[in-house]
Amino acid sequence: MKRLNMVIILAVAVAVVFAGCSRQEQKESAKLQVVATLFPLYDFARTIAGDRAEVTMLLPPGMEPHSFEPKPNDIVRISRAGMFIYTNRYMEPWAESLLKGMDRQRLRVVDAGQGVQYLQNVAGDEHDHDVPGNHGAEGHAGVVDPHIWLDFSNAALMVDNILAGFIAVDPANAAYYRMNAAGLKGRLAALDQRYREGLADCATRVFLHGGHYTFGYLARRYGLEYHSLSGISSESEPSAARMAEMVRQIRSSGVHYLFAEELLSPRLTDTLAAEAGVAVLKLHGAHNLGKDDVQRGVGFIDLMEQNLVNLRKGLACRSK
Amino acid sequence: MNLIEILSYGFIQRALLAGTLIAVLCSVLGVFLVLRRLSLIGDGLAHVTFGSTAIALALQLYSAASLLVSLPVVLLASLGILKLTEKARLNGDAAIGIVSAVGISIGIMLASVGGGYNVDLLSYLFGNILSISYEEVIIAAGLFCVVMVLLWLFFHDLLAISFNEELARVSGVRTNLISAVLVMLTALSVVLAMKLVGIMLISSLLILPAVSALQLARSFRACIVLAALQGGCSVVAGIFVSFLTNLPTSAMIVMINLLFFCCSCGVRRLITIRNIG
Repeated sequence: MKRLNMVIILAVAVAVVFAGCSRQEQKESAKLQVVATLFPLYDFARTIAGDRAEVTMLLPPGMEPHSFEPKPNDIVRISRAGMFIYTNRYMEPWAESLLKGMDRQRLRVVDAGQGVQYLQNVAGDEHDHDVPGNHGAEGHAGVVDPHIWLDFSNAALMVDNILAGFIAVDPANAAYYRMNAAGLKGRLAALDQRYREGLADCATRVFLHGGHYTFGYLARRYGLEYHSLSGISSESEPSAARMAEMVRQIRSSGVHYLFAEELLSPRLTDTLAAEAGVAVLKLHGAHNLGKDDVQRGVGFIDLMEQNLVNLRKGLACRSK
Repeated sequence: MNLIEILSYGFIQRALLAGTLIAVLCSVLGVFLVLRRLSLIGDGLAHVTFGSTAIALALQLYSAASLLVSLPVVLLASLGILKLTEKARLNGDAAIGIVSAVGISIGIMLASVGGGYNVDLLSYLFGNILSISYEEVIIAAGLFCVVMVLLWLFFHDLLAISFNEELARVSGVRTNLISAVLVMLTALSVVLAMKLVGIMLISSLLILPAVSALQLARSFRACIVLAALQGGCSVVAGIFVSFLTNLPTSAMIVMINLLFFCCSCGVRRLITIRNIG
């Protein structure tokens, strides 16, 4: 008798769980499913989507985009989605091969960087060069800088591209998406304004970064002179000569802070800072979020506000 | 840029000091490992370290505390490689291959199920010879002393099992114990030195100085001295050449070791030709 009771209880429990699952699945499948590769795209897309679409991020928390390897689950998620958003072919070279087997009739692919004016970083020389312009006297072929979202006018352009995708896939909710996108672009414009004002009057305009080239777009927009220890490729390593050159650069420019990128190991930055006798401040590249930040629900604009605080401290900016 | 100026940088001084210690250590260990056909053990154990670091991060242990997990796991893995060669009668390369593959898959699995980390795991795993701190110089010196003293204590037994394990066993050497000491010293060195100078440098320093020295040396002692000399010189030369050529330091050190190897092959050829002539 007791055993029979147990069986019934178990059966009911199983039925409840299954019913719950299938109901949840139905609810999910009714909504538009969107997969975004990196954090800025994910954050923009979820703001535009509001409660009318389900946006997920492809990269697991903390991971650097170059270390990414898709799991079977990721492929299933993309194949069930109605829209896939990536930054550009420089940032996620694996995106193209990931999409090869997908039904492109059903899945709308958004290249969020479409129409952005890409900048080049010339190897061995960290100054910016426009892509169509000349490539510097050295004659090096430059490397395209993929971190376009760090120029907030590009971020607004990315919002437009993502919005166009939403409207094409789900025209019924177009007005709702337009409203959310307009709100987001307004906040990005206000952020841009705060950066302009916050970085207008600084003791130094030299922005030194002891890591891979990341903040070129941001520096260019606000008229900062940006130098990084190494180039864009995450595989490149600095030479002893470049390390020494950077130490001399820190000393001669008279800055008091060297910047490091969040999520990445600060070993080289710490070494440089100790050598030159300056302190280290962190900036967020926003490719991805740490696990704790994901749980706290941090957004792109929050990260950029924190960057502004650290930039103002590092460059000794005066408030108006 | 002159020599004095290059040497005035603290990070160069630390790289020279800790780098040379680690290089000599790896070169000497490498002679025993190459003779025992365990050349790739450095790469294999590095993959296990990746797996064990993922375990440590899942347990919220960061940087130095992650060694609490990594060290025992990698020590066990090194013994596992040894057991596979003894009990399953596998060759060293196959045994290392198994342990290394399992190590890296554990890391990848944990990285996926753990819901991510607060940092990029790969960027924290490997050090760079140009970013060695004062504390790490002391760690390198301590490691150097421990490994050298133990190698010196077990020298005759290690020598015996390196050339003829059967003969050594018959003549009363506790071969299992000595092999275990060798691989565990290697495991300790790989785990600690990898965080200091990166895995590419460790695994190349375990192989290249040893094989170059084996080309030339007439005796085992000479072989060890030659290997240690090459390892040490390659680090010093690599750092200076990296300064002059503006190329990455670790990669330059590996290239200089390759150059040494080519030279010793050439010298050996010349000697052989002269002997025949």
